[in-house]
Amino acid sequence: MTHRFARTAGWLALPCLVAAGLLAWYVTREPASPFADVQATTADPALISRGEYVARLSDCVACHSLPDGKPFAGGLEMATPLGAIHATNITPDRNTGIGGYSLADFDRAVRQGVAPGGRRLYPAMPYPSYAKLSDDDVKALYAFFMHGVQPVQQANLASDIPWPLNWRWPIAMWNGLFAATAPYADQAGQDAQWNRGAYIVQGPGHCGSCHTPRGLAFNEKALDDSGKPFLAGALLDGWYAPSLRADPNTGLGRWSEAEIAQFLKTGRNRHAVVFGSMTEAFNNSTQFMSDDDLAAIARYLKSLPGDPQRDGAPWQYQAETTAALLDSPGGHTYVTRCASCHGLDGKGQAEWMPPLAGATSALAKEDASAINITLNGSQRVVTAGLPDAYRMPAFREQLSDQEIADVLGFVRSAWGNHGGAVNPQAVGKLRGHTDPASSSPIILHMR
Amino acid sequence: MELRINQKTYQVEADADTPLLWVIRDDLGLTGTKYGCGLAQCGACSVLVDGNVVRACVTPVAGVVGREVTTIEAIEADAVGKRVVAAWVEHQVAQCGYCQSGQVMAATALLKHTPKPSDAQIEAAMVNLCRCGTYNAIHAAMHELAQGEKA
Ligand code: FES
Ligand code: FES
Repeated sequence: MTHRFARTAGWLALPCLVAAGLLAWYVTREPASPFADVQATTADPALISRGEYVARLSDCVACHSLPDGKPFAGGLEMATPLGAIHATNITPDRNTGIGGYSLADFDRAVRQGVAPGGRRLYPAMPYPSYAKLSDDDVKALYAFFMHGVQPVQQANLASDIPWPLNWRWPIAMWNGLFAATAPYADQAGQDAQWNRGAYIVQGPGHCGSCHTPRGLAFNEKALDDSGKPFLAGALLDGWYAPSLRADPNTGLGRWSEAEIAQFLKTGRNRHAVVFGSMTEAFNNSTQFMSDDDLAAIARYLKSLPGDPQRDGAPWQYQAETTAALLDSPGGHTYVTRCASCHGLDGKGQAEWMPPLAGATSALAKEDASAINITLNGSQRVVTAGLPDAYRMPAFREQLSDQEIADVLGFVRSAWGNHGGAVNPQAVGKLRGHTDPASSSPIILHMR
Repeated sequence: MELRINQKTYQVEADADTPLLWVIRDDLGLTGTKYGCGLAQCGACSVLVDGNVVRACVTPVAGVVGREVTTIEAIEADAVGKRVVAAWVEHQVAQCGYCQSGQVMAATALLKHTPKPSDAQIEAAMVNLCRCGTYNAIHAAMHELAQGEKA
């Protein structure tokens, strides 16, 4: 009896062992890289400067540097649902950075999220998007990081994620389900400019990391234009990253291609000025893109259809209804605190002070951006080395939750805006989360 | 670009987005208009543009081309402005005086649009900050101005 049981158990154990073995192999294997046998690390200046440009397109610096630290030495803290993690040192220092990486190691880290030895990176590193980088761009990026960046000796910070949640291997399964697996392939029937735009937006630009809504497993719901949620707008880090599709209210429906390119190059156009997390993307990345690339991005984004069901009836300026609204607590606050810059007519002083009439933050049902910018103001927009003259001040110390809710309720109802009322509790909540002294601050999410 | 300030025409060279305040003070030397916060919060930099009060620190200079700017230096050339300054003197409003050119601008703009404002209208319009706390004196002067011309 015991004997037979043991034998049955043995027969059962075998497939389990095989399965476990396969799983162990799958989750720790080093995936293939086209550069597996390539040894050369070249210091060709043209390649290095191309790599520097790819690093700008990819905005590596925004996460892998701290404002007062050495470039690419790591350290930025990011939240995950499980605890905080820190961006790593990617300078070519041999001990603490990536100086020991071969081109294939580098490729596996950037495009597949796998560090040497098979350890999985957290997808806070946007490798699901970087997977689309071309072989040539990866090679150039490698040359830049090996030869164009100063090595910095600075040890990486450990994550706050407790055992056993800090096991990395389950990420391999996540990758199998949610990460792109091949470099961008030109879409037939589209011309070179469109394809270049699609490549930058989906790949190095990783626009979807903020602008595409995420699913239950924190996965972007679509990684390219074959999915309707792609770049359809998402809440992240206390901001609402608007739709980049042709939605007239919450997206780019009312923007021309030239206006999109202008926005990414100068940080402003007649519709809006960069604010929130986009300020970092602008300051560190988009303004450095070539005019051709910006035109390609604009062309591609304008080809993504909107969704009238999600976006609602297109906004139209209305002066008539506003007069009555002005005589309210929110209207009074608007006149005294906001109108100097944004105008009594809500039209702002384009392109320097953005209009609030027709602004995405006043039309989206998500009110996080409107609340956040009012509480905390805007960061400096630095174009070509020059900080701009105008900034949104922080009203955190001057206006109560109720006053902010009132004034935003006014802004989101005046001039044809239809974002609607704002709840003072929502203001209070964001006030706490965005207070650096609070015990539950928002720290940066995945992007 | 060509600017009209205090009934005079000036040629200035400035980037389109330069704040009007910098042009007035630094380029044209009209230093009666003050710099307080630079963020549209205090009102020290108030000037009139076509008779409306605006905060010059947040007014890109290109936006006032073709319009008539009035600063404190010329406010007494305006009938309403002259009455305001007289009332300010009579009530001895100023303490340090730093905010007062802006206060006079706000007062003048209000009385131009609303010659006999109610106390509530005065309160709603006179929102410039004064670190010396002259608010009561300002209110008294405004209250009197709101009664209309003295016989
Ligand atoms: S300096 Fe312009 S409002 Fe304070
Ligand atoms: S009189 Fe001194 S600031 Fe107003």
